[in-house]
Amino acid sequence: MVVTLGLLAGTALAGPKGGGKGGGKSGGGGGSASGGDAGEIEMDPNSGGGSAAGSAAGGGGDEIEMDSDQGSAAPDLSADLGLADQQNVTVKEGPVKKTPVSWKDIVVVVRKPFLKVRRTELFPFVGVTMNDNMIRHEALGGEFAYYLTDVLAIGVEGMYMVHNFQEPYDLVARQARRLPTLNQYNWQTALDFHYVPVYGKFAVLDKKLITWESYFTAGIGVGQSEVIPRDTHYPGFTNFLIQPNIGANMRFFLAKWLTVNIGVRDYIFVDKFEPTDRVMYPTASLASAHADSALINNIMFMAGISFWLPTSFEYTTFR
Amino acid sequence: MMTKNYVLAALLGLSLAGTAGADPASVSGGRRLNSLHSDVAVRHRRLLVKHRFEATPLFESTINADFQHTVGGGLKLEYHLSDMLSIGVIGVYGTSLHTSLVDKLLTGPAALPNAPDMRQPSQEQFLDHLNAMPIHGAAYVSLTPWYGKLAAFSSAFVAFDFYFQGGVSFASLTGNCPNNICSDMAPGQPRPNPMGGENLPPDNDPNNDPPLNTGGRVGLYLAGGIHVFLNDFLALDLTVRDYAFSDNPSGADFNADRFVGTNSKTGEDDNRFLNHLFFGAGVAIMFPTTVKRTP
Repeated sequence: MVVTLGLLAGTALAGPKGGGKGGGKSGGGGGSASGGDAGEIEMDPNSGGGSAAGSAAGGGGDEIEMDSDQGSAAPDLSADLGLADQQNVTVKEGPVKKTPVSWKDIVVVVRKPFLKVRRTELFPFVGVTMNDNMIRHEALGGEFAYYLTDVLAIGVEGMYMVHNFQEPYDLVARQARRLPTLNQYNWQTALDFHYVPVYGKFAVLDKKLITWESYFTAGIGVGQSEVIPRDTHYPGFTNFLIQPNIGANMRFFLAKWLTVNIGVRDYIFVDKFEPTDRVMYPTASLASAHADSALINNIMFMAGISFWLPTSFEYTTFR
Repeated sequence: MMTKNYVLAALLGLSLAGTAGADPASVSGGRRLNSLHSDVAVRHRRLLVKHRFEATPLFESTINADFQHTVGGGLKLEYHLSDMLSIGVIGVYGTSLHTSLVDKLLTGPAALPNAPDMRQPSQEQFLDHLNAMPIHGAAYVSLTPWYGKLAAFSSAFVAFDFYFQGGVSFASLTGNCPNNICSDMAPGQPRPNPMGGENLPPDNDPNNDPPLNTGGRVGLYLAGGIHVFLNDFLALDLTVRDYAFSDNPSGADFNADRFVGTNSKTGEDDNRFLNHLFFGAGVAIMFPTTVKRTP
């Protein structure tokens, strides 16, 4: 019985994963993750042999999987080399140039672990403004994005913002006897386009592999700012803003339906500020009509968790 | 018969125990795992930093400085003790540029007056109280817990790693406030009466006090960055650094006690522990220029 158990166990460990390797770049280009740097053979320590065999055809587990073989037949490099030689003989005349074969010539093609095409991303996030050291805005928002392809998406975002003053705001008032002219941002919304040109993976403490990607965003939207009156006896006024935006973001894949996103966006707009000689324009409408304008780059850092619908996906190509 | 059953049961138990003991990693929570379970994440990996010396000429600039931007160039020297741990030093020489806040206080409708007016500082008083940071640097320990590679546009493939640093920062702060501007030799103290008799009360004017924001500083250093390897020995090095130490960049009264210096009653000082954020970009050169690989 012990011998039988041992034989069974040995069979399970030695058995092939099943399924041929198929297209070298199956899964939308995951192969290039290792193809560019020939020689590094990577593996996911979490993908057990048994589970890998079961998931070979249909989009498997959440982990990165590795093709450890090319079919039921045992790989034989010398046989392949011989076959290549025969083909050369039938096609070409003349001397055959043999290329030395080493482990560097073995390319492991890892399927892309996360597909986004025809999926919707729900991205609640928090954000904070980065480039104004007098007033800081904290934002709570969300974004819906639909992926037309695996690298291109269209989405809608919106956020609500609150503000607080920073140390230089008080310093300027107290030390230089000047009251800064500031606007607060109330809300903004935009139509965005996302493009994903960069993807990669990294190992954490040489144990756990995490895949990630970087994507760029460009969009156009509207928002509202509100003048903070230097003298509170005067009323403030609001501005309706046209806000193009550009951004760069990173996405880390945790599960088939869950990612962590961080990013930086630059909202570019022309804002209207309280006129310097406010005493001349006591009402909000007068002050707005004589407001000072300036081009603003409002750079925000955002972080959040994305939920993906449908919650799973299927590969459409062979491994 | 009973003895035989006991022997068989004992043998079975021993064999199972032996199996479990022979490969404890093969079963985890009832799930069968293969030998990859306990393996490293990446085999045949290029050891791009281990036991290598890194020299990085770099450019650095402040992020969101209040009054004076510091931009400059420097050098980072680092030795990687292992794949994840390294030690190094960094030194930067920089020059100062006015921020837009200072520009607004010097020109335009909100400009400061040319001569002191009430409690407003003059432009000269304001500028002469600002300090500069011509030299700064740090000695640190660096941890590189993440490494990986990325594909850009499915055509360019590069290796990268993320690192985090912590250590001791140092900085040399300079200023130039001449005696005719910073004329109060005893800020916050009663003044001698030139006519004789009792001392006069403090002038309560911080704009003529010495700024007390120059000299050497030692503090905390924190940083995080990324190496993007262009080849086996060259890498783009992008870092955000925080040199945190005691400072009073404006050189003016911060704690509202109407003079610059330490308040003997409250113990508060206008210098306070401040973060000085910098962004740095450099090209790291690794020595030796060839790399080894893991098994």
